[in-house]
Amino acid sequence: MSSTEFLSAELTEVTVDVEAALDPTEADGSYRDSRECAALALQAATGTLLLSPPTPRPKKG
Amino acid sequence: MEKSGTSTRLTGAVQDLTSELVSALRSGGPFRLAHGVPGADDGIALAAVRVMGADAVLPSVLHDVPPGSDDLAVFSRAVHAYPPPAGASPASAWSHWAMERALRTLDGSADTPPDGVPGRGTEPRAAWLEDASWQSLTHQLAVLAPLAVPGADSAVARVARGRPVDVARGFVRAVRRRDWLQAAGAGRWLVLLDGVPETLGLETGLAFVAQMGGDDPRVALQVEAAQLMRIGVRV
Repeated sequence: MSSTEFLSAELTEVTVDVEAALDPTEADGSYRDSRECAALALQAATGTLLLSPPTPRPKKG
Repeated sequence: MEKSGTSTRLTGAVQDLTSELVSALRSGGPFRLAHGVPGADDGIALAAVRVMGADAVLPSVLHDVPPGSDDLAVFSRAVHAYPPPAGASPASAWSHWAMERALRTLDGSADTPPDGVPGRGTEPRAAWLEDASWQSLTHQLAVLAPLAVPGADSAVARVARGRPVDVARGFVRAVRRRDWLQAAGAGRWLVLLDGVPETLGLETGLAFVAQMGGDDPRVALQVEAAQLMRIGVRV
């Protein structure tokens, strides 16, 4: 492969990578762990709780 | 799947450039793109600028500090080196459009079409976004977060302005899914939108996203941009 062909191939590869980076698929979701819950608790202490869990309802009967 | 050699180098270059941008936004000091992109003649370095999109000049935009001519030259080279190929995604087309707009704004040729060619610089279509579910809308807006700057109109911004509650729902969903990058990008858009429910707690939410995801410079960049826009830097 000549140096020109090599550079052309690399440019093509970079272009593909750029396009992939510009249009990512949505990341898989994951859910709360204890670290996140601790952070929520800290924010709750300052009265700025975000995404608080629902208030438990009293049991009937 | 194993990443290609260029993919790994590109990811690293994007991370480095993003970290430099975060530092510049936080410090308010000058950001020299030409210095922040070592070896700007390297295709990977220019590709990293292209991946960052218009955010590669965000410190100049938000702090209202004119970029140096060498910085604009690097930015311009990235714009011209990596145009959207045929069949490119809407995200790529919009990202490139936003870079061209930023370039024209910063070099003082905002009223001139790119390269002086009539018809160039026309907005890409946004129909794909208008019909998107609120989940997909939020994902796409987060990807296109570099379009979220004060006073910068676009069809994407108009769609976002018409759906503030959907973006707010998407923000909460992203936080609950621990998708900090999407949450940060959505939060950046929400800062610019009217009609966002106050019960969202956006300011607290952004702080939370920064706390949880701020180790990733891409998240830190979006949160920093949102917070600067929120306190009205420049505007």
